[in-house]
Amino acid sequence: MQPVPATHRAGPARTPDRGVRLGATTALGAALALVTWWWATGGGLGDLGGWESGLTSTGRLTGLLASVLLLAQVILMARLPLLEGAFGQDRLAQVHRLVGFTSFTLMIAHIGLIVWGYAAGDLLKAPGETWDLTVDYPGMLLAVAGTFCLVMVVVTSIRAARVRLRYESWHLLHLYAYLGVGLALPHQLWTGQEFLSSTARTVFWWTLWAAAAGSVLVWRVALPLWRSARHHVRVTSVVSEGDGCVSVYLTGRDLDALQARAGQFFTWRFLAGTGWTRGHPYSLSAAPDGRSLRITVKDLGDGSAALRGVRPGTRVLVEGPFGRLSERVRTRGKVALIGAGVGVTPLRALAEELEQHRPGEVVLLHRFTDQPLFARELDTLARERGLTVVPLPGRRRAPDSWLGDGIGRVDDLTALRARVPDIAERDVYVCGPEVWTGLVRRTLTAAGVPDGSIHTETFGW
Amino acid sequence: MGMPVSLALRGRHADDTAAWEQVLAELRHVDAVFSTYRPESVISRLGRGEITEDECPPEVHEVLALARRAERASGGAFSAWRDGALDPSGVVKGWAVERAAAPLSALADTDFCLSAGGDMVCRGLEQPWRIGIEDPHDHTRVLATLDVRVGAVATSGTSRRGQHIADARTGRPPTAVASVTVVAGRLTWADIDATAAYAQGADAAAWLGHRVGRTGLVVWADGSTTTVGGTAP
Amino acid sequence: MRRIVLWFLATLATVVLLFGYRTSTSSTMPSTVAVAAPAAAAAPSTGTPSAGTPAAGTTTVTGTTASTRWGPVQVQLTVAGKKITAVDVVQYPNGNGRDQEINSYAIPTLVQETLSAQSANIDMVSGATVTSDGYLTSLQSALDKAGIA
Repeated sequence: MQPVPATHRAGPARTPDRGVRLGATTALGAALALVTWWWATGGGLGDLGGWESGLTSTGRLTGLLASVLLLAQVILMARLPLLEGAFGQDRLAQVHRLVGFTSFTLMIAHIGLIVWGYAAGDLLKAPGETWDLTVDYPGMLLAVAGTFCLVMVVVTSIRAARVRLRYESWHLLHLYAYLGVGLALPHQLWTGQEFLSSTARTVFWWTLWAAAAGSVLVWRVALPLWRSARHHVRVTSVVSEGDGCVSVYLTGRDLDALQARAGQFFTWRFLAGTGWTRGHPYSLSAAPDGRSLRITVKDLGDGSAALRGVRPGTRVLVEGPFGRLSERVRTRGKVALIGAGVGVTPLRALAEELEQHRPGEVVLLHRFTDQPLFARELDTLARERGLTVVPLPGRRRAPDSWLGDGIGRVDDLTALRARVPDIAERDVYVCGPEVWTGLVRRTLTAAGVPDGSIHTETFGW
Repeated sequence: MGMPVSLALRGRHADDTAAWEQVLAELRHVDAVFSTYRPESVISRLGRGEITEDECPPEVHEVLALARRAERASGGAFSAWRDGALDPSGVVKGWAVERAAAPLSALADTDFCLSAGGDMVCRGLEQPWRIGIEDPHDHTRVLATLDVRVGAVATSGTSRRGQHIADARTGRPPTAVASVTVVAGRLTWADIDATAAYAQGADAAAWLGHRVGRTGLVVWADGSTTTVGGTAP
Repeated sequence: MRRIVLWFLATLATVVLLFGYRTSTSSTMPSTVAVAAPAAAAAPSTGTPSAGTPAAGTTTVTGTTASTRWGPVQVQLTVAGKKITAVDVVQYPNGNGRDQEINSYAIPTLVQETLSAQSANIDMVSGATVTSDGYLTSLQSALDKAGIA
């Protein structure tokens, strides 16, 4: 293993990141406020005086807000590098859930209030009114179909349904959200009056729609296709790492142009047979050296198992790089890496790439059950680069502990302090299952590590 | 008041004779209070000064307030106090039919069209009512048609018995206009506007055009017509 | 893989069918009602209307387009001195489909030839001669008789 030349400039890019996050939030807030103001000055407030007109007026407002949020959601999920880098996967997932839930609730409210209002405030007439609306009003049948799509997306994303679905199936069903949002456009143009009632509104709404559609087409479709064609990524070999893990080595043209950093991940589609339909998010398990890429995957089930049989030469479609778990967010000289099971993969890459000037500057706490992953490589890194490796073996000793049973009686915090006394002075990168990561974070906060120095990534989609 | 009343019903309660009785009862009541041909009616007694306005039932206050508004809106062409006599008939007819139509609105899933003396209130949600406008020069001929879903139609013209419409500014009956038909949301105002427009004489169409929310038809004495209102797309 | 293809084709077919429905490609409602004049949102007419052409000393003011529930409305006022003498609506709203149904101030359509009430398919007649005297020979009575029969 050759030492990686320090071609990346170490240094945090955090302030611009926070600025981008703030900017995005402000833009969304401003859009919602603008839309509300237009509603209010267009007679919306005045209409609240009557029962029936109040219902329809509030119904219109909820529809407008839901529309802004849904379009914002599309832009948020379009894998824009600016947003991906500034928010990071975990935050993005949180924001996605929040915006999704809010927009869905508003959409349901919109439907209910409008139908009720059109039924002249008489609930008994609502079913008939719903029918009338659906079959007679311009664009409404499409809007109803769109609603069904969005309902299905939300229903399949509830935890109880998620666990019953394979990830790939869930992901494909989730794509119906695009269809749902798109089918809503005709009724906004033709039955609602918002679009056309003033030049400013027309400009605003068309811009928002164009931005949403454009983001998806460029960053989710065109760019990955172009990148994959340009870089011609292929599998070179598949190696077993033991303990059910497999490493896949890949190569391509101009890989340094991908600008991948250790700790980041890509979405990989292996173009062998039916594999193109499944996009797997896997982290790089070795620091990218501009000539090759490596991922290490645990045999977790259908999709991953298929990787074992991937033949060298298979072409791969890549999307990325994504993720904030990299040199980018480093704030201090000393670093602690805490990983569990296959979550140690990006940390292994980070251990190779992170700049360290003295032994002990980078510490890796490796949680594993039987066999540590990358044992040999980590050993090499310890010898050649001064990485300190702290093994944490054994089965999970308790549901509320993130340590194994080899530790003994002490609580998590004491155990941590014993092994890494200066933990509070380090940047801590954590990667592992969602619940486990939460427990680690709790202990870290108790140990005095500031929130801005804890960087986590979980794959809890 | 001596005017014929027609009622058309369509829908679930199309055979409701009770509604018809209610309509007639209300119209008779209004006649008893407001008819200037009955010396014992409240209006006649008020006109003669036998009672004061405060002693009158609330309907009278409502009608007189409407009459004052109508006088202002029509620029004096219509007036309930002319030659010293009190005659709010121009306002009462539309107002009365509107009141009489109230119990009809309560009939669920039923469309109705109540016409009294050629002025009508319509509700045609299932299907619009097709109204024909009579040719004032040939009473067997229909000059124009219009479809009304929810609204009122009133026509004012030369042959209206008992109206004695005169342009209150000149004191003489208008001559240039044969009839004015007005479509509005409420019959009270359709009636007032039709009467007031008619009283404007040659300015009828222009005046009606300034009344926001009204559409209508003016038939001139020479037989030509002017359609009023509508959209600028 | 086959399942994905089936889902995709089914979705495609459904979307195509949806777009085939009449309301999916037309922006107007299929009703016969003429486009509405504004109901409550527009400014009510005020003051005394002037007779004839505006006299000297009058100005015409066109208001800004107001955004109402039914769409944009623009009103033009004729002002003489300090009084508003006329109000014209220069831009009528289209209304959304809902209000077209409810606010139906239809415009009279002139009929071309002499028509009797029955052949014009009329429900009611509006006219100044529908009086008790004229009733017996009037169109309305013919209609009413037909209704009973």
